[in-house]
Amino acid sequence: MVSLEQLKEHQTVRTDPVPESQALVDVRQLSLWYGTKQALYDISVRFPKNQVTAIIGPSGCGKSTLLRSLNRMNDLVPGVRVKGEVLYEGVNIYDPRVDPVAVRRHIGMVFQKPNPFPKTIFENVAFGLRLMGVKGSELEDRVVEALKRAALWEEVKDRFKKESGLRLSGGQQQRLCIARAIAVEPPLLLMDEPTSALDPIATQAIEDLILELKERYTVVIVTHNMQQAARVSDRTLFMHLGVLVEEGPTEVIFTKPKHPYTEAYITGRFG
Amino acid sequence: MNRTPTPEAFGQDPWKARIDRVFARALVLPLLLALGLLALLLGDTLYRSVSVQVVRADMGPGHTYPFGLSAETILRQELLAQGYTEEEAAFMLQDPKERNALFLQNRVELMWNTHEGPFRYVVTNVYDERVADFSLAEGLRRWNELKANLQEGERLVLNPWLDQTFLTRPPSRSPLTAGIGVAIWGTVWVLSLALFFAIPVGIGTAILLEEYLREGRLSRILEVNLRNLAGVPSIVYGLLGLALFVRGMGLGPSVLAAALTLGLLGIPVIVVTAREALRAVPDSLRLAAFALGATQRQVVFRVVVPAALPGMVTGVILSAARLIGEAAPLLLVGAAAYVPFAPTGPLSQYTVIPVQIYLWISQNQPEFARVAAAGILVMLLLLSALYLMALYLRNRFRREW
Repeated sequence: MVSLEQLKEHQTVRTDPVPESQALVDVRQLSLWYGTKQALYDISVRFPKNQVTAIIGPSGCGKSTLLRSLNRMNDLVPGVRVKGEVLYEGVNIYDPRVDPVAVRRHIGMVFQKPNPFPKTIFENVAFGLRLMGVKGSELEDRVVEALKRAALWEEVKDRFKKESGLRLSGGQQQRLCIARAIAVEPPLLLMDEPTSALDPIATQAIEDLILELKERYTVVIVTHNMQQAARVSDRTLFMHLGVLVEEGPTEVIFTKPKHPYTEAYITGRFG
Repeated sequence: MNRTPTPEAFGQDPWKARIDRVFARALVLPLLLALGLLALLLGDTLYRSVSVQVVRADMGPGHTYPFGLSAETILRQELLAQGYTEEEAAFMLQDPKERNALFLQNRVELMWNTHEGPFRYVVTNVYDERVADFSLAEGLRRWNELKANLQEGERLVLNPWLDQTFLTRPPSRSPLTAGIGVAIWGTVWVLSLALFFAIPVGIGTAILLEEYLREGRLSRILEVNLRNLAGVPSIVYGLLGLALFVRGMGLGPSVLAAALTLGLLGIPVIVVTAREALRAVPDSLRLAAFALGATQRQVVFRVVVPAALPGMVTGVILSAARLIGEAAPLLLVGAAAYVPFAPTGPLSQYTVIPVQIYLWISQNQPEFARVAAAGILVMLLLLSALYLMALYLRNRFRREW
């Protein structure tokens, strides 16, 4: 096993680094603490526009923490402290003048377990739009549009105004959550293990959807499932103990990893 | 060694299973005991609310009237039987004042049985004299004997004390004409005003504690205090209400003072149940709303509160059910007086059902025990209605997260 001391001194191994001009999000030397416990060590990485970036690594490696620091969801945890910068289209979202609520309106997020509101399907998707003050026929059009993009429209079109989102199956609920997240047209979509609570068929549907979504959105996905990362992502980040060990194009990470820990994890020797 | 598998190979222990069964049954016993006692209480109250009576009418012959006539027709016939002329009777029933007085003095009751047959109306007058009052069992056993010995102007009736006129009539010095109407209106006034004060404060406090001050020190201090408040005997709230509202704010023995006192009493219960409802809303919903760019206020009022609403409403109904039964604090803040009219505003005099029952029970005429039993039935019905409502809401809006 790897000791934290060894890793802390480690420089991230990068293959084909993303040039600044193609990056939607640029993380610069980000460190994060929960109280006194450090969860992220000096992470620098760029997420390219209109591509899917997967974050992999063993449990507790800080994948989700890194994801949540991209839309300031970590601010909701009491005692959290952040150092470094996250540039979103060139603006540091941790600048004290930036309102975290406004940041979250620009960045969609999908969670591990489907979490629709106990409201109708329509109201679920309309939630973010209503927060932005969208009303009337425009609201309705955009809800329908989001449901279509989330590949849920055909299944719910005759009942979406009456039926509760909780009545859908697990896979449909997760697509509803995706529709809810993309209804406000966020350039960036964060997904935190979106298929870990779903069966293989529903997982397949979500993965197909992710591949379609990347034409319009930039996607960052955390996953436990290495095959999934290999299937859906263009670039992959491997993290361990809060350190970004290696990043590069997905085929490089999975076929010719440069760092011995990455190789050990990919080949299933730990994690 | 080749062993054939047998059921015993799994290690059965018949004694353990037997002890388990006995234990499980023993645990049901207290429940059965409680249910049995409740049924006994209800049965006893029902039994006491019915009696066989011999009544001598003070004026007139003491007729009974057939089923199906209107109260006004019956009263007119009674007036004619008492010796008034047609014109006088018509005049008395036309003049609103006279009419009101007539209906206050006379009560048209549906009796289950009279010496003239089952289900007949009887006009009971305030000045009627009770000759005898028997329990149901004794009365029915001696029915024929009593019927044979009836004197001129006397009647024998099987009286259900709880009937529709009982629900609408004001209290009276005579048990024959006493009703619970004023107390019902008093309860409605006091309870709705109390909830009007207690709901915003209670639910607001719950939201503050659960959504804004989750782990803070203030939250812990408030929590301890709330638990203590929920355990304070209600009569102490009565003393507080007496000092603060009746005397301090000079509200006197009014509906408003009672409502404020009961409101204080209800707040801790509402806070505790509303907090439980809020806590039952999973954090994943809050996170989903935050991730969509909702502010704390929007998360609370657009997601969390709507999701917790059924639980909150159930809590409010349960606390209302508790407040309905409170007599002790209201005796202190001024519900004790004899009140002939229903409240007309927040500063009116009032009485409430439990206080009215208490007053009837403390009367020394034995028939008031019948009236009290009828009052208790009214209160039990009201409470059951509230509990059923809470049960219905709980099942109707049950959610799987």
